Amino acid sequence: MGELAASASAGDVLVCVGLGSCIGLALVSRRGSACGLAHIVLPDAAGRPADRPAKFAEQAVPALIAALGPHGARAGGLDAILVGGAQMFTTSTGMDIGARNEAAVRAALGLAGIPVTASATAGSVGRTVRVHVATGNVTVRDAGAKEVGLR
Amino acid sequence: MANARYTDLQLDALRELANIGSGTAGTALSSLLGCAIDLAVPSASALELADAVEAAGDPADLVWGVVVPVSGHVDATALLVIPDADATTICAMLGADTDTETGRSALGEIGNIMVGAYVGALATMTGFELDLRPPQTTHDMLGAVVSSVLAAHSDEQELALVLDSELELEGEACTLSFMLLPTPAGVAELLHRIGLGD
Repeated sequence: MGELAASASAGDVLVCVGLGSCIGLALVSRRGSACGLAHIVLPDAAGRPADRPAKFAEQAVPALIAALGPHGARAGGLDAILVGGAQMFTTSTGMDIGARNEAAVRAALGLAGIPVTASATAGSVGRTVRVHVATGNVTVRDAGAKEVGLR
Repeated sequence: MANARYTDLQLDALRELANIGSGTAGTALSSLLGCAIDLAVPSASALELADAVEAAGDPADLVWGVVVPVSGHVDATALLVIPDADATTICAMLGADTDTETGRSALGEIGNIMVGAYVGALATMTGFELDLRPPQTTHDMLGAVVSSVLAAHSDEQELALVLDSELELEGEACTLSFMLLPTPAGVAELLHRIGLGD
């Protein structure tokens, strides 16, 4: 949670397990082999210090783009895939962090000029996302269901 | 480091409150299911969000989660986590099946009864008025359940005070884990009432 990873090594698979209201943001370069994945927890820092690079959406997007730089990827050549942002419970007011997370991530991607090419978000189901660096394929698995390709 | 917000004495006192609360909740569950319940000593820890989720177990495990919001003098969220197989066992003891609406509602009711007992004990000790809202039951990955409840809390603060209790049904290899997550203001109220406020 709140961590990010970038890789261009063909053997690597980047994973976020058990995303609820959190967002798994995958950035995949259209040409080349660089992929990145961030596990975003909350929409904005609201003045709080970020103890983890991808905890807040507004910081996670630039941080993930920066992490992809050494692998030869630039913001202009990236596609974004969003997974998570569910509302697991509907109890208290202001609890729909999932939807706020998704909106914040999409806004930050918009600022960076990165298109969202696929997403598996909202609803009330937990999800696991995998990014296969070798192929640039992104898969999602809903709780108790089968793995499905997103890209 | 992570516990800098609360002193050891305060955490000890909160652990003792959790002990009494979960003892009462265990007794309520015991009379509902008609079997003896073993209680592990509860832990009170102030954890950073990600650490609290990691501490809960394998995030990919399928579990039943029952969330009961608590409001009044202290606002809190109670979360009961029951591993898949154990939920099946418990439902069977009540003559229900987790695949049915009856089973789902039975698990919600177990959450309701346990949180009611726990919170009732807290209310008696502190003289607070505490109310429960209806339980919400979900069947999902442990990581998704716990992180979503905690994220809703961390909107207000970085540290989650987790009062964690484990209950084991005697004779049936079943473990339920019970967490109470008070808001920061709620923790302050609790500590103030037992004479350990700042």
